[in-house]
Amino acid sequence: MKPASPSAQFQRVDAEGRIAVKHTPRGSAIDRLYQSGAAKIRFPSPANKSTCEAVLINTAGGLTGGDRLSWTIAAGEGAGLTCVSQACERIYRSPDGEPAHLSIKLEIGRNARLDWMPQETILFDGSALNRGLEADLAADARLLIVEAFVFGRAAMGETVRRASLRDQWVVRRDGKVILADNVRFEGEVDDMLQRRAVAAGDRALATIALMAPDAEEHLDRLRAKFPTLATSAFAGKLLARLTARGAYELRQTLVPLVSLLSGGSEVPKVWAA
Amino acid sequence: MRITAMPTDHLASLRLLTWLSPSFPVGAFSYSHGLEYAVHDGAVTSRTSLAEWIGDLVAQGSFRNDAILLAEAWHAAVAGDLPRLSHAAERAEAMALSRERHLETMDQGRAFLAAARAWIAPPEWDFAMPYPVAVGAVAGTMKVGLSDVCVAYLHAAAANLVATAIRLVPLGQSEGTTVIASLESRIIATAGAAAGSSLADLGSATFMADMVAMRHETMGVRLFRS
Repeated sequence: MKPASPSAQFQRVDAEGRIAVKHTPRGSAIDRLYQSGAAKIRFPSPANKSTCEAVLINTAGGLTGGDRLSWTIAAGEGAGLTCVSQACERIYRSPDGEPAHLSIKLEIGRNARLDWMPQETILFDGSALNRGLEADLAADARLLIVEAFVFGRAAMGETVRRASLRDQWVVRRDGKVILADNVRFEGEVDDMLQRRAVAAGDRALATIALMAPDAEEHLDRLRAKFPTLATSAFAGKLLARLTARGAYELRQTLVPLVSLLSGGSEVPKVWAA
Repeated sequence: MRITAMPTDHLASLRLLTWLSPSFPVGAFSYSHGLEYAVHDGAVTSRTSLAEWIGDLVAQGSFRNDAILLAEAWHAAVAGDLPRLSHAAERAEAMALSRERHLETMDQGRAFLAAARAWIAPPEWDFAMPYPVAVGAVAGTMKVGLSDVCVAYLHAAAANLVATAIRLVPLGQSEGTTVIASLESRIIATAGAAAGSSLADLGSATFMADMVAMRHETMGVRLFRS
């Protein structure tokens, strides 16, 4: 967003949202809530009260270079929480190449469960994003991560020629790192996406990670329902990577896939939009 | 003739040739890093597509990550920093996104440390190390230069995939050597950058290479363990 005059400051997003949910006899309930800047959180009433649903909103409508947004999410002992985003996070062109910073911290307590499934992040031409996700799980906690990126919007015919995307995940169980994923797209992104080892021309990419004591038990059912899906399960983890032409095609697989991993329950409404 | 002390750079070169040789007993020949499925699926069918595939692993994929992890282990070993080495091992293991990728790196790491006992066997190395971490730890402790180790590691990884593709596609031997020659500048560039990198530089774009590694598990008849 260009300033009106050379002396005007760029208005930067500096936003933070924090939620903690706890177990109560009536189901999962909000324990603590904090919103600052453009970060807002809404709680639609879930059909199933054992799990809270939180909708995360960035009222700035997107991020550009220099913006900072952080989410800190905690599910206390025995509690359940599903986090979705109201809209796709949009990462706009960074005028000076400086990245937007997105930080996610997740904490899942004993016998607790968190489904982290914001909608896909859309990167526009010239955008730069540094994302970090850190999660700490208790020994028997369950975490489902569904993260997707789309480079440009296929329906609008957008091509992302250049961008910088750095995404690092570190997930610990009982203090030990059990999953670390690092995605890095730097430079001539459209050229990179054409490569057979990268995306063979697809522009939407997603990673799903389920970490739970029973994660591996889903593998056979997943492979039966999605025979061409790239997925693997070992050491209490179920992992999948997929690419698709665009967001629409990606969701055609992601929505039923997430539903299966959530035990057949309906995926939050925002995903059906 | 007077015997003079061996120049350390010759000794280091000799050791790298031994440790990263295809005949070093880590079983490298039994792992295809998912390439077997890529060939089966038609993603790699020629020397051109093979060179592109391996080149991407080296420049912006899992081999680049390996070089960074190797460098981290090397720095930890040189500094005698056991917690840093142990953390590198833990982080590297956690980066294996599929059962077979995990097997490939942990088995080779274990075998490498076992074979390296002919040179060193520190008792405090009582934790498992994935392959690049094991190589970095041994090389750092034995004072072999970092960029040399990275070049040797990347060369071995690339050459192993070329040998694999020669069997699978199949390709001719001279097609294979053409591929290896064409990868030289990428290997040098990645090795040079890794020497000055940290864990914050980790990152890969090779989604489809990861995906074929996962799909490889579902292959009925296959020659390779990964």
